[in-house]
Amino acid sequence: MTIESTEKPAETERQVASSPAGPTWLEQAKVLTYKYGLLAVLFGLIGYFSATQPFFGTFINAMFVLQAASIVAVIGLGCTVSMTVGGFDLSVGSAMSLSIMAAAAAMVVGNLGGVEAILIGIAAGLAVGLFNSFLIVVARIPDLVATLSTLFLINGLTLLGVNGQSVAEGMVFRGQATTGEFSPIFKWLGSGQVLGVPSSVIVAAVVFLTVFVLLNYTRWGRAFYAVGGNPIAAAAAGIRVARYRVVAYLISGGLSAIAGLMLAARSNRGDVNVGDPFLLQAVSAALVGYAVLGANRANAFGTLIGAIFVAVLINGLTMFNFPYYAQTFVQGLLLVIALLMSYTLGPNRR
Amino acid sequence: MPSAQANSAGESPSPADRARSALVEIRDVRKIFGATHALKGVSFEIRPGETLGLLGANGAGKSTLIKILAGIHPPTSGQILIEGRDVAFGFPDDARNAGIATVHQNIDDGVVFGMSVAENLLLDEIAKPGSAVFLNQRQVLRRAEAIQEKLELDLPLAAPVEDLSASRRQEVAIARELAKQPKLLILDEPTSTLSERETEKLFDAVRDMKKRGISILYITHRMSEVDLLCDRAVVLRNGSIVSQHDAPMDTRAIASSILGELVIATQHKSRAGGDAVLEASNVRSKAEAPPIDFTLKRGEVVGLTGLIGAGKTELLEQICGHRPMVAGEMVLDGRPYAPKDAADAMAKGVVMVPEERALQSIFPGDRLWKHCSVGVMGHFSRLGFMDRRNEVSFTEAVIDDYRVVAPGATAAIEELSGGNQQKLLVGRWLRQTWSVVVLDEPFRGIDIGARGLISQALRDYSERAPVLICSSDPEEVLEVADRVMIMVEGQIVHEDRAESLDAESLAEIMSHGSREAAGARPEMRAQ
Repeated sequence: MTIESTEKPAETERQVASSPAGPTWLEQAKVLTYKYGLLAVLFGLIGYFSATQPFFGTFINAMFVLQAASIVAVIGLGCTVSMTVGGFDLSVGSAMSLSIMAAAAAMVVGNLGGVEAILIGIAAGLAVGLFNSFLIVVARIPDLVATLSTLFLINGLTLLGVNGQSVAEGMVFRGQATTGEFSPIFKWLGSGQVLGVPSSVIVAAVVFLTVFVLLNYTRWGRAFYAVGGNPIAAAAAGIRVARYRVVAYLISGGLSAIAGLMLAARSNRGDVNVGDPFLLQAVSAALVGYAVLGANRANAFGTLIGAIFVAVLINGLTMFNFPYYAQTFVQGLLLVIALLMSYTLGPNRR
Repeated sequence: MPSAQANSAGESPSPADRARSALVEIRDVRKIFGATHALKGVSFEIRPGETLGLLGANGAGKSTLIKILAGIHPPTSGQILIEGRDVAFGFPDDARNAGIATVHQNIDDGVVFGMSVAENLLLDEIAKPGSAVFLNQRQVLRRAEAIQEKLELDLPLAAPVEDLSASRRQEVAIARELAKQPKLLILDEPTSTLSERETEKLFDAVRDMKKRGISILYITHRMSEVDLLCDRAVVLRNGSIVSQHDAPMDTRAIASSILGELVIATQHKSRAGGDAVLEASNVRSKAEAPPIDFTLKRGEVVGLTGLIGAGKTELLEQICGHRPMVAGEMVLDGRPYAPKDAADAMAKGVVMVPEERALQSIFPGDRLWKHCSVGVMGHFSRLGFMDRRNEVSFTEAVIDDYRVVAPGATAAIEELSGGNQQKLLVGRWLRQTWSVVVLDEPFRGIDIGARGLISQALRDYSERAPVLICSSDPEEVLEVADRVMIMVEGQIVHEDRAESLDAESLAEIMSHGSREAAGARPEMRAQ
């Protein structure tokens, strides 16, 4: 039997037809903006701040910026992983609070050492992730509402656990003075340095590299994205969807915990619900990341840029004596611009 | 020379003459998407009261043309004249107001779930700005009854639309369009998801509309439908009209015009098959279905056919671990086989190409090479790290082997036409080693060229491992299979070599076997 591809001629004609005219400059500009727009703005800002503010371009200030970005980056990378499987983790802030309280209480009330406290804090975050997985995968509650209920439950649990008090050295707990202290190893997480690089920057860098490699270069990362892209097709292609969802929420909870420990170590206390504002910061970093290099989906590099972008903006604007209460507005503006880039300028599919 | 007249576009009577006789005239319509010229100057007319067939391979530009006529896309250049008046559609409403109604291929795009049949019939009125804020259910029902009476239908008006079978839902969608008293009704592959019996009903409806003087633009892949229904037919290839045909249709000329060359009907000898690879005993398609036995042998393609709702898909999905086994035992290569899920089935060597391409196989926005490696990532990775170069070269090999028309391995899946997507999705498995390959409706919505190519590839592959194909179209089954099993209500009622069967006898067995059951439950259909 003769079978010739019927559509081959179309291809050659299409090439011929497109070669003389080519895409218009407007379309090219659109594609360039879509891909590199956000990075260009970021480098432009850095250039402008460095040129106008002598202190901005120094190594010390760069470390300030990165340190400011580090916690949001870590928790945002957790959000990113949950977004790759098509989920959404609203409980990252409360997981962060819980791990802070657990670790701080372990040291101050429980008189435990730094390593134990860190392990307890991470275990607390993983427990939140496990609970989310249970609600989402086993009980089949939609991600958004499941993690919303977890947010309230965990925040409430944290308050109950410490009687609504902040945990600090020398606090009075249940009528008794406590003697435990924040251990030096734990404090190092917040204030330590290696060759002038703050320890929180190092932790964030390690977390970033791990998540980046996991998502982009391993089969597991590919499976995460496949599950998020089309769970039915992923299952049909032999990917165990439930398993990847569970792992994604565990990673999200675990990274929230690490971010929490970084924060507690910096302030050397465990304040009530201190993780709350980080939810929105982290989600917005991950969403800004959609627009980086035209990814149009949650991705590790984009989230890192999203976190750094906000830190650069705030750092630079503060030098121009921008009022602190304008920060929220500036963040909102950044998010809207990033979303316009990824959704409006993005390739519209037929 | 048959009735085909090549390239009538430029050399018909003068435009003024045509405008007088034509209901709709499409004049030199072009559409450019980025670098793709989807339509390269299309001209034809639709006459009052005629049923005009529009044919073409996947990617020929049919969908683009329909979308332009329906006002979804504006044309890049060219004119559309309705009764001689130049109309410019910017929005679907413009087309509707001009008297063009469209029923799209996907039936469920035409109805709104969660609403009753009556509300669906009156949807446009309900959605119109300025209509009443609160719906008076009784009034809705009364107005829907009036529509129903005028169109001589017998729809259950109060029932939720999701309780209806596919063909009844389509009736609702068509009735809603007809209620607007259109001059032209566009039917886009209306039979692609209907069973044989449902198709007959649709044909009656089309003939009825013709009697009322409505012009119909009928888009289809099936030659028999053109022959049966259409007064004239135009063939679109690579964005241009390549021929026009008048009834009686010379289907052979149309087919060659679609493909751009003469196709020789596929003739093959049924092979006997070698050693048994998969043996199933006492399995059931559904809990209430009777137990069945069958064997898949190396060296043969088995075609499973039957009406929609016969239980074919359910059976296939059990074999491939996509749903839990209802009953019975299976033996694969001499060992007991009971897949827990698709991953387990694939690990044991059984792979499936599911029925709904967009829903079950495609990852939106992902590149071709990701689609080629997704099920078998272990083959492309070391210590968990993916070898991207290997993935891309594998994909290029699939593209070459199965003549997939694609800009390259790094193209997004959406850049391919449906038939080319299917070639890629089938081809990616055929370049791997499996014990059994199962395909559910692999030819749905793809053109004859792609179909022939996939058929041949499957017949070649069956030398290595048995291939099981399910289709509700008898002709498709006969084209590819060595052995045919006919399923009626979950029972395999007939099994024979393909060469001793023909399409008519197959269709008869398919519908005859179900007649008694059909009397009891006329609209039985798998969910």
